[in-house]
Amino acid sequence: MTNSELRVLLIDDEATIRAALGINLKSQSYTVAEASTGQEGIEKTKTFHPHLIILDLGLPDMDGIQVLRELRTWTTIPIVILTVKDDEGTKVRLLDAGADDYLTKPFGPSELLARVRVGLRHHGLAEATPVFESGDLKVDINQKQVSIAGNQVKLTKTEFELLSRLVRDQGKVISQTQLMKQIWGVTAEHETHYLRIYVKQLRKKIEKNPADPKHLLTEPGVGYRLV
Amino acid sequence: MNSKYRGPIDPDSLLSAINAEEKARTSAKLRVFLGMSAGVGKTFAMLKAAHQKKNEGVDVVVGIVETHNRSETAALLNDLEIVPRKKIQYRETVLEELDIDTIIRRKPELVVVDELAHTNAPGSRHQKRYQDVLELLDHGIDVLTALNVQHLESRKDAAESITGISIRETVPDSIIERAGQVELVDIAPIELLKRLSEGKVYLGDKAAAAAAGFFKEDKLTALREIALRFTAERVDQDLQKFSAARDQQPWQTNERLLVAVSHSPYSEKIIRATRRIAYSLEAPWIAVHVDTGIQLNSEDQAQLNRNLSLAKELKAEVVTMVDTSLAEALKRICRQKNVTQVIVGRPTRRWFRDLLEGGSLLNHFIKESLEVDIHIIRQDQKSQFRPSVWQELKHYRSATGWIKYWNTLWFLAAITALSTVIEPFIGYRTVGFIFLLGVLTVGLFGSLGAVLMAAAVSALTWNIGFIPPKFTITISQPEDFILCIAYFVVAIITGFLTNRIRFHEKVIRDREDRTNMLFQILQDISNAKDKREFIEKTVSRVDKTFDADCGIILKSKKGNLDVESNKHMPWKLDDKEQAVAIWCFQNRKSAGWSTDTLSQSRSLYIPLRGANEVVGVFVFKPNRKIKKMGSEHSTLLFAIVGQLGISIERHFLGRRLQEAQRLKDSEVLHQTLLNSISHELRTPLTAMLGATAALDSDLIQDPYVKDIARSLNDTGTRLNQVIENLLDMSRLSSGVLALNLEWHDPSDLVGVVLKRIKTSTANHVIVVEVPADLAMIKIDFRLFEHAISNLILNATQYTPKGSKILIKAHRHNSVLKILVEDNGPGIPELSVPYIFEKFYRVPGAPPGGTGLGLSIVKEIVNLHHGELGFEANSPHGARFVISLPIEEQPTMPAEEE
Repeated sequence: MTNSELRVLLIDDEATIRAALGINLKSQSYTVAEASTGQEGIEKTKTFHPHLIILDLGLPDMDGIQVLRELRTWTTIPIVILTVKDDEGTKVRLLDAGADDYLTKPFGPSELLARVRVGLRHHGLAEATPVFESGDLKVDINQKQVSIAGNQVKLTKTEFELLSRLVRDQGKVISQTQLMKQIWGVTAEHETHYLRIYVKQLRKKIEKNPADPKHLLTEPGVGYRLV
Repeated sequence: MNSKYRGPIDPDSLLSAINAEEKARTSAKLRVFLGMSAGVGKTFAMLKAAHQKKNEGVDVVVGIVETHNRSETAALLNDLEIVPRKKIQYRETVLEELDIDTIIRRKPELVVVDELAHTNAPGSRHQKRYQDVLELLDHGIDVLTALNVQHLESRKDAAESITGISIRETVPDSIIERAGQVELVDIAPIELLKRLSEGKVYLGDKAAAAAAGFFKEDKLTALREIALRFTAERVDQDLQKFSAARDQQPWQTNERLLVAVSHSPYSEKIIRATRRIAYSLEAPWIAVHVDTGIQLNSEDQAQLNRNLSLAKELKAEVVTMVDTSLAEALKRICRQKNVTQVIVGRPTRRWFRDLLEGGSLLNHFIKESLEVDIHIIRQDQKSQFRPSVWQELKHYRSATGWIKYWNTLWFLAAITALSTVIEPFIGYRTVGFIFLLGVLTVGLFGSLGAVLMAAAVSALTWNIGFIPPKFTITISQPEDFILCIAYFVVAIITGFLTNRIRFHEKVIRDREDRTNMLFQILQDISNAKDKREFIEKTVSRVDKTFDADCGIILKSKKGNLDVESNKHMPWKLDDKEQAVAIWCFQNRKSAGWSTDTLSQSRSLYIPLRGANEVVGVFVFKPNRKIKKMGSEHSTLLFAIVGQLGISIERHFLGRRLQEAQRLKDSEVLHQTLLNSISHELRTPLTAMLGATAALDSDLIQDPYVKDIARSLNDTGTRLNQVIENLLDMSRLSSGVLALNLEWHDPSDLVGVVLKRIKTSTANHVIVVEVPADLAMIKIDFRLFEHAISNLILNATQYTPKGSKILIKAHRHNSVLKILVEDNGPGIPELSVPYIFEKFYRVPGAPPGGTGLGLSIVKEIVNLHHGELGFEANSPHGARFVISLPIEEQPTMPAEEE
């Protein structure tokens, strides 16, 4: 599938944003449609059949999260949310409500395109395998094997569990609460230091320079992402 | 026992009962095997139960079991794990005891401990074995244990009187209340005797002699009855609990008990007895004190208070009444509260008090056809309390001691003198009327005792001094004799009646005063504009009524007593008095003058209680020097203080609610404002940056356009930085910022910062020296990220391109230091003191920048209880140091590789 066959829907009330995002998306030959209100966005989703939606939170007719919830009642297409920086709480809430990813204003075009690529891949439009390969890192979930530049790395059970959870949604940000709940259970949800300690241990094993990670990235205030 | 039909049990209630059982299971359970005597087979039954548990998969150990060489019992021990006993050296012998430490370390689910009433060898941790058992239960270990009924404290007396053997080893009944299950091990006495004769019962060396007298069928039957009865009571209580849970009515029985409380120490015993009866009937009970106008001295008052508080502690409803007649008052309350049973003590008063006060309470009750049962509590001969004659006489003493009697005597002397003068003119018989007038006068002003004395003394004086033959006790004329006797009777009755009437009047007047006063205070409170006004009004009212100086000390915002404040205190308290006030506040009990606590103080301190908390202390300083406050006075005072406490609390709560609402409003407003500003400023910026990026992409080939696009991009980025600083500053200074503190790894923090500001640092050499194994810090990640990035961006702005910026972190004792240093020109020494001030910019600094960056960093670091410092780098450059205290590191469950 070439990029021109991939349709992206922009829902934002600001014409300038739509224009700026549109230019950058079109430069990668995506087919782009625009909507300026929530209602219009929902309608366009039904007629335009986008592969990915970029959704702004501040819409004139309805709240972005409402649009998200409504879309999620009948479709699973990837939705990337546009937010502002200081609002980590909202980001986490959106991710938990079914958003696939978010972009923090102001963002650069390279960030935008990277998110779009990840989003599209996740929807089965790009290959998804139990094997994750990125640079020198290779993770095989089925074989339970992790290697760096061909060298086997030995992980503890929890470390592997954390890594495979991130591999499952590779490229996507996974909220800290989700990770905590799925690995340590609901009762440990607030013991976030477990997560910090394991991320640190994991980085020591899979990153060349743990202080400057290339694979296991921190999304401040939100969660982690594996690239 | 109570065996009313309670209707069918529905499934819901069964379920809730099962839930309760489930709950009980989570805390350790005690199961007691109760027997009437040794030899009934308790140990055997207990071991059987242990086996059953073991077969169910429960981890069972035997703590201590005496088989007494009985093969059946020993066989049961064979396949149970036995914890070795602890050996304790005592004088020459070695004693073996239950080894609780080993058991607790071993941590079984269930442990078998025989002979609950056993007394441990000297040198053991606990004196008694039941204390060992309690400790095991506290450690979550279930216990099976055995007990003979005569060792129960409450049954000890009965068992002693049956067996004639004194019982030294007892266990408190409370341990049985703790038991989840009590099982009676029963055997017919004849059967037991048979087993005894067959030698199947071990009695111990010492007991063997006593056993001859002990194991008689009649005695065993009596013991068996005690055991059966005890178990039945227990079952009944379980059933009561069950049905109470079912229909939310705690009291199933229609019984209601009443006990009259006086100032006698004997009352305590009756109160306890009533509580025992009430407990077994599961009935509510009322303790009544009737103030009949008898003046109590301080000792008696203290005893009365003790009695009343004992009743309160034992969960009685305590009622205090004022009435001239004790019996009348009790009858009234019996009718009002539907009392079914009255508990009284055996009367101990001497005949003269019965005569004077119209028979004992018991007689009154029995004579009246009230529909109540009357229990008379027996007294042990040794502990019987019978007041001495003098003590009983003292009842007639007045509040001011004997002074009224002296006054009465002087008054009678005066009348006698007057009569002597006028007797020749009016005749000796008329003198009798003058005396009668005197007795009536005494009745109006004096106490009951004084009236009685006046009647007696005046009758005697008249007889001796006036009735012929004078100066003898004999009376010559028969009519004079009758006259004198009649005089005495009339004097007593009229004196007595006037006295009663006066008392009644006083009671009514006092009650009216009290009601009026409370009503006025309530009005004051509801009419007052603010707290200050009603406090002042109430205090001045109390001042006038009680002839005292009063004040109020309120709780401060911090929650302690604001003793230094003189807002509502007309005088200053010295250190000692302050200490009393604080004690009263902290312990929620009255203290100082007229109480049992710190009574050397000159003022009385009463806690101002609201519905939920103590809001302050009421200080009462009497102007007159009296030892104790009268009971009617104190009732009124406490009622007023209670009212005041509730009103002040309501006021406090109202103010707190307003405060909270205000804070919430301002927080919401602030947050809304910030969110909309941040959205409105950043959205156009995003559009701008997006557009410039498009201009800078492969779509456009014109180098001139690309150049403009790049500079647009730079200014856009700088604008974004300024916006972020402004928003942060506003958020920090608003005071509504809640820190989202979590544990984080410093190297992760630095990594995230560097990634985010990558483009802005592209022209500088960034060196990172942050070890990966530093201690974790508890920080608000987003804020700290901002602090570090501000420091780095600051360095990039104030140093020429290509300068080196070093980011370093290390641990110094219990402080984590994060350093950001550069080798640029540094900061002029004159500017150094001002660099952390808002909007301060170093003179000659390059354009672009608001002078907010460093002050934001400082605020963020301070919020985390850290410090931000500056030092010059050598040979040149600047170094900023963040010092953060390292808290105790969090722990987490270990994991195998």
